Amino acid sequence: MIKIKNLYVNVEDKEILKGINLEVKPGELHVIMGRNGTGKSTLANVLVGKDKYKVTDGTVSFNGENLLDMSPEDRACAGLFLSFQYPVAIPGVNNMYFLKAAVNAVRKSRGEEEIDAVDFLSMIREKLKMVALDESFIHRPVNDGFSGGEKKRNEILQMIALEPKLSILDETDSGLDIDALKIVAQGVNDFRSPDRAFILITHYQRILNYMQPDFVHVLMNGKIVKSGTMELAKEVEKKGYSWIEEEVAEVA
Amino acid sequence: MSVSNYKVEFEKMLNRDYFSKSLHPYRKEAFAQLKKIGFPTRKWENWRFTNVSAISDGEFMISEVADAPKNTLNIDSYKMEGVNSIIIYNGHYQKELSSVPDGVTLLSGLEYLENKNGDFDTANNSPFDLLNTAFADSGMCFIVEKEIQVETPIRILFISNGDRSIMVNPRVNIDLGESSNLIFIEHHVGDAAAFFQNESVFISLENNAQLNHIRIQSNSEFTQNIANLNVNQQTNSQYDFFQLVDGSKLGRSNICVQLNGENAQCNINSLALSKNNQHIDNNIIVNHNSPQTHSTQFVKSILFDTSSGVFNGRTVVHQNAQKITAHQTNKNLLLSKKAKMNSNPQLEIYADDVKCSHGSTTGQIDEDALFYLQSRGINKQDAMELLVTGFANDVLDKIPHPEIKQFIQADFTNKLGRLMS
Repeated sequence: MIKIKNLYVNVEDKEILKGINLEVKPGELHVIMGRNGTGKSTLANVLVGKDKYKVTDGTVSFNGENLLDMSPEDRACAGLFLSFQYPVAIPGVNNMYFLKAAVNAVRKSRGEEEIDAVDFLSMIREKLKMVALDESFIHRPVNDGFSGGEKKRNEILQMIALEPKLSILDETDSGLDIDALKIVAQGVNDFRSPDRAFILITHYQRILNYMQPDFVHVLMNGKIVKSGTMELAKEVEKKGYSWIEEEVAEVA
Repeated sequence: MSVSNYKVEFEKMLNRDYFSKSLHPYRKEAFAQLKKIGFPTRKWENWRFTNVSAISDGEFMISEVADAPKNTLNIDSYKMEGVNSIIIYNGHYQKELSSVPDGVTLLSGLEYLENKNGDFDTANNSPFDLLNTAFADSGMCFIVEKEIQVETPIRILFISNGDRSIMVNPRVNIDLGESSNLIFIEHHVGDAAAFFQNESVFISLENNAQLNHIRIQSNSEFTQNIANLNVNQQTNSQYDFFQLVDGSKLGRSNICVQLNGENAQCNINSLALSKNNQHIDNNIIVNHNSPQTHSTQFVKSILFDTSSGVFNGRTVVHQNAQKITAHQTNKNLLLSKKAKMNSNPQLEIYADDVKCSHGSTTGQIDEDALFYLQSRGINKQDAMELLVTGFANDVLDKIPHPEIKQFIQADFTNKLGRLMS
């Protein structure tokens, strides 16, 4: 699905990512953990093509294509999705209108017919149930005046409406109460399938109680320093990151 | 500034026998006064950012019979569903194409004056009001008797066409009797190569009367368009104004509202879309003369290219006007580095128990919002359009009538699409 090789990224001339290597195959769920400021969000943002993130070395291939050469919209149309850590509010733009424009842009790129308003509404009603939101929600401006939990659920709603191949969830769990967390996790679980993959970025092991990751990676100082399975996440939860830090120091 | 360029035309006007002589004294007095004060210059406080030299140095001629259409006009391209229209072409009333809805009486300026026993509105004696009084040509007065609810909206369609530098000075009176209501639309269109329209509108709302006033100014971008709106409101009356301006080289609206009776309320909403070197200007004064009166000003501008704009919004709360609410909001979106906006929201409060606010923001497209939309598969062009439309939507939402709203929204989307492609 995605192959990241030796990826180096600068933000405003500061090197943030220092040689990331990661491969995610269809059906897999990878978790990336790490302290604040280790480059987790940078990795997410550079993959979706945010312009202030400059790639200085390395390659990313997405289903055989050179991802780094593509515009943000082409990446989305090719099946890449990021659930933002801080979704931006867009006053004046109706959520439903936005969702329909996005779904149709993606459909068009796949050579499918555009969906009309009636079909769209019945489709979106089904998806709203999956994230436990009522219909009034889609008639509000995008993320405008939404609570933290609503914003995150709106991200998941967009994900299940756009049906991406690879979804990156950037701290989708942070700031959620336990009920909202369960809803979000359930939304993701229902959406999992053998041909879809996920990268979940998180601080906490908490959300992993509701999901089954295949791999867990620890990001430290712009590099993946340790990879494992669910056991690694549990260890981090119990002991924090310092022991990994020490391990890394020893090797160096 | 000198008004001498207008003197010859003024003499010409006085000699045209189709203008009633009984109005001459008012005309002469107004013209004399205008000569004394002159056209505004940039030294005048409310005209600091507005260049009217195209008008003060211009050589505009009064509209002649030859400027009227030769044959019956085809107005299909300006069609609006569900309204009665009055057609004015280069200042000439097109009677056979015009109709008024049930419940509205249409009088000429002269008939109206006779009705009012010679009590002639002179407004605030600004240069352009005086110019209008001096040169008033198409006088139209709409009267709605008390307790009449007019169902069908009425539209004046002003068409300005041709190559001659014509000046027209329409004068419109709207009198709504107690507890009556009306939707009034003025729609300015045409492809004139040079044209100056200086319109004065006098609105009088008796107790409990309600007027929805919609103004669409889409004149050609080679024209000068000045609107002088004077609104007087009595107890419990409501005035809702919506304006979309995307026309004329210089487009200026001078709006003056007097909230004279308790609970009188006015809502002024305006959206401007400017391109090339257009200049679109809103100069608004709301006077709270009575307690418990309410006003809002909600003005947005979208500026392309080297266009410029002004928001000059003044709310004056007089001493006895306690427990009033007044809110001003001005938001501007600059879509080019060379576009320029001057914003000046002002509150002048002499009462002590009031709720007032004002705010102004000017900025560019939100890059984060743009990226957000792109990251969902929407291409940059469409995403920009979506954001600009989003910026405009909350003003467009103020249009009260669903069909007219649809019309204006489609018109706006169409124009925006052309500007953004």
